[in-house]
Formats: sequence, structure tokens, C-alpha cells
Amino acid sequence: MEKVIEIKNLYKSYGEIKAVQDISFQVKKGELFAFLGLNGAGKSTTISIICGQLKKDGGSVSIGGKDPDEYPEATKRALGVVFQSSVLDKPLSVYDNLKTRAALYGIMGEAFEKRLQELAKILDFEALLRRPVGKLSGGQRRRIDIARALLHKPEILILDEPTTGLDPQTRKQVWSVIENLRKKEGMTVFLTTHYMEEAAEADYVVILDNGKIAAEGTPLQLKNAYTGDFITLYGVTEAEVQTLGAAYEKTADGYKISVPDTHAATALILQHPSVFKDYEIVKGKMDDVFLAVTGKALKGGNE
Amino acid sequence: MKTVGALIKRNVKIFFKDKGTFFTSLATPIILLVLYVTFLYNVYEDSFTASLPEGVAFDPELLDGLVGGLLLSSLLAVSTVTVSFCANLCMVADKVSGARADFTVAPIKPHTLALGYYIATAINGLIVSAVATLLGFAYLAFTGWYLSILDVLALFSDIFLMVLFGTALSSLVCYPLTTQGQVSAVGTVVSAGYGFICGAYMPISQFSTGLKNTLMFLPGTYGTSLLRNHALRGVYAEMSKQGFPAEAVDAIKSTADCDLEFFGHSVEIWQMYLVLVGAIVLLVGGYILLHTLRRKGKNVKKV
Repeated sequence: MEKVIEIKNLYKSYGEIKAVQDISFQVKKGELFAFLGLNGAGKSTTISIICGQLKKDGGSVSIGGKDPDEYPEATKRALGVVFQSSVLDKPLSVYDNLKTRAALYGIMGEAFEKRLQELAKILDFEALLRRPVGKLSGGQRRRIDIARALLHKPEILILDEPTTGLDPQTRKQVWSVIENLRKKEGMTVFLTTHYMEEAAEADYVVILDNGKIAAEGTPLQLKNAYTGDFITLYGVTEAEVQTLGAAYEKTADGYKISVPDTHAATALILQHPSVFKDYEIVKGKMDDVFLAVTGKALKGGNE
Repeated sequence: MKTVGALIKRNVKIFFKDKGTFFTSLATPIILLVLYVTFLYNVYEDSFTASLPEGVAFDPELLDGLVGGLLLSSLLAVSTVTVSFCANLCMVADKVSGARADFTVAPIKPHTLALGYYIATAINGLIVSAVATLLGFAYLAFTGWYLSILDVLALFSDIFLMVLFGTALSSLVCYPLTTQGQVSAVGTVVSAGYGFICGAYMPISQFSTGLKNTLMFLPGTYGTSLLRNHALRGVYAEMSKQGFPAEAVDAIKSTADCDLEFFGHSVEIWQMYLVLVGAIVLLVGGYILLHTLRRKGKNVKKV
């Protein structure tokens, strides 16, 4: 698959602080790429370098095969950015905000009106056009932020913690919009998030810790490599569970048994078929992966 | 140029939508006018009366016109610059809100952004200064009006240049600022100090020779003198008409800084314009250069 972002041996320091240390990764066309890390792990620095906002100390960055330092215009046109917090002008209307931002890409007059109609339909904000951005709800504002990032039809959408601070329903709404865009327009999405369930949906995940890549792979690869499986057994006694000889913990409805992988789970079931009458097997979660990789719990998932 | 136009429109709209900024800007000249009339009117009146040779006396209306013209020119000399500092808040506010990063992720040239701020600030400054001028004219009409149509046009051209100068100066000074607190601090210093160094609060003719010569290197001095010349030309003509000795008129002209001397050389009106326009060109050039150099360094706020 075609690589749309390629980072090789990237370095960036702020004085004594080494924000990014020798990181390399690729983002493929059309994929949902998740960038995980605690605050200060180097996510925002990397994104700023990708967006041409910050000068790198070393290494190379390529957006669609072009270096942002040499081809800033082309690479900036390829990117749409949704910032961590809304950066639109709160006193101005949605229409005025989007009109100004579209002008930055040379989209004016009829071309702007046409694109505005398309986006208003996709993101469902036709009724909000005349309202000041400062008077919108968090979810409505996020939709407008996404519309702003999509005005110039970028190939890559960078979402920097797009759902932080939103209620679960709005988060779901925002994600359904992003999913739709990926499916309909084949857009590549580069995501940083604190929500592990969002990272679990990604095609590829890179975990950053102290400016270095601590782990990377698909969510399945990461789960297989860094966490085990869990079997939840129902309708059994504790004595029966103890006969399995595996670590377990009591839950509200039954017992949760930890096994190294699915193969071990299958073996255990085959050895003790009488105990496994009502059960389910699940893989470890991305939270477990993150904890295992960095030794730190990623806050925000349930905030 | 269309992108610059869109940015100017946006910046002007934000200034007028934020009623706090607009009214604070407008309050500055109004407060100055009230303070001048309350505290300085009698001082100027006594000073001019005392400067006349024995046996020569002012017609009260003419004296009011003289003092009024002096107050108006002082007020405009200060407010055209301080209002520009106030109107330039948008540039720093954009850094604080993140809007600046939103602009620079788009493929716009640094000078486009710089011009967008500069022209919008100049427009805002001109609007506020025009309102202040009209208030000042109303005051003159009440106390003693000696302005011809040409004087009025010349005053507006001086105000235009002074706003451009104030905008360029404030753009350069405010460029490195990143917080509203810093802007407030700079605004306070400028409001307190500029009136003295441009000869508005106290005529430069009253200062020591060393200080006088030093202040002659500052372009604002020439702006104040231009305003004085055009605000008082009609009064001087009326004084001559009423038979005041030429020496008395010249003495008052010198006292009011209408006749400036640069190390013993008399400065003509066209030379004052030249200094002011030269200063504007230099300051705007420096401001655009800063934007360009800064973008090349790219050490801007992280996304």
C-alpha cells in the first residue's frame, strides 16, 4: 500500500529536553493510524513537525513523497488538521470562520459555497451556519473544526485528540462522521487519542514514551505481544475454578481467568470440558497493552 | 491579494465584534480629551498669554481656538499611536487562542499573514481615530473654530500617516509578544510614555537642548508637529489678521513645536512628511521581514 507519511530517524529537542528521539514510522494510504502516548511523550511535537510548524533537529519527514521543508505548499495542501482544542474565532459565525479559512487555500466565491454545502451536508451543520462559534456546544464545534480541516479536500486528516472532553454520545457522533469520511473518500486519518477504544479501531498503532517509540503494530499484534487472553467463566463454583490451576479473579457474575494466549485458552478448555459450560474468551484491551508497554496507565479513557 | 483581503475582513470583524476592545480603544482618546481640557487647558492658556509682548492681548475666542487646536493636535498625536497598539491586540490574541497555528498550517505566505494584520489594524485605528477627530472638531466648534477645508483635509492626511506609523510601530513591538498580559504591559508603558517623547503632553521646545536633539531622532515628533501645524494654521492666520506682531506669532509657533529644528536646521513640512513616510516604510519592512524570518526558523507554537 502507498505510503502517505514517512518519518525516518526524527529528532527534536527543546534545550536539554529531548522531545523526540530517533523515531521512524510510516502511515499508509487510507488507514486509520493511531499515535498514543502520555502528555509530553512527543506526539504534539511530531505532529507540529509533520505540519511544518516546527523545525526538526534531525531525520527526515515525507508527506506524499515530498519534504515539507522543500515543498511547504504542496505538503500543507495534503494535510487537514483538527487541533486539540477548537481554534476557530468564537465571536464570528460558522459561515465567516469557514469562509476565512477557505480563503487561505484560495477557495473563494462559488467554489467555497459549493464546498460549504457539501460539508454542511456530510457533517450536518446547515442549521448552524449563522451562529457564532462561541455559542455552539462542544460536539457542534467539533463538527465545524472537522469541516474546517476538510475545506481543501486534504488527503490526510490529522486529528489531535479530537474527542477529548466530549460526552460519550457526541464522541460516537464525531467518530461516525470520521468513519464515513474514511469509507466514502478513502481518507487517511492520523489520530492521537487518550481513548483506548478509539485506538483499538485503528489499522496501525504507534505507542510513544519519552520521545521514543515503545511499541508499534496492529491492535491485534500489540494485544498478542503485550497482553494475554481472558476467559470469563459463568455458573461454576470457586472450587471448580481452582481445579484449572490458572490465575483468576472473582467478578460480579463469575470468574475471570488469565491465560497467556488463545492457544492456551483452547488447551485449558479441552482439558476441562466439564467446567467450561458457559464462558467467553476475550483478548486483552489496549489499556492493558499501554500499561504493559509503558508501565503507565493512560488517563482520559473514562474521564 | 484575495487571501489578504479575507484576512483583513476577518481581523476587522473580530475587532468590532469584541465590544470590549473597540470601546477601550475609543475610550482612550475620549479620556485624553477630558483630561486635557480639565488639567492642561489653563496651563496652556497662561503660557500663551504670558508669551505675548506687553500691550498685546488675545481675543478670548482666538485664545480658545489656539489652546483648543493645541489640545486637539496633542490628543491626536497620542491616540493615533496608542489606539493602534490597542487595535493590534488581535495579532497576539491569535497566538493565545491557537488561531495563528490554524493559519500557518495552511499554505499561506508569511507576508500575507503580516499584511492581513497590519492593514486590519490600520483600518481599525483609522476608524477609532476618525471618531476621536470628529469629537475633537465638535470641541473646537464649541470653543473656537479656525480651520479651513484644506486644514481639515491636511489633518486627516496627518492622522492617516500617524495611524500607519502607529500600526507599524505596534506591529513590530507586539510581534514577539505571546500573552495578553505582555500586551497590557506594553500598552500601559506606551500610553504613559509616548505622549512625552512625541511632544504631545509637553512641547519639545520646553525641553533641554540635549533631550530636544535626541527626540528629533524619533519620527513621532514630526507627526506631532504636522498635526500642530495643520490644527493651528488658521489661528496663526487670524492672529496676523488681528495685527499681532510677526515675532509674537513666530514665538508662539516655536513654543507650540510648529517650527522644529534639527541640530540648528529648520525642518520644512515636506521633510516632516518624508521622515514619517520613511519611518512607516522601514517599520513595515522590518515587520514583514520578522514574519518571514520567523517562519523560516519555524520555531512557532506547537500544534
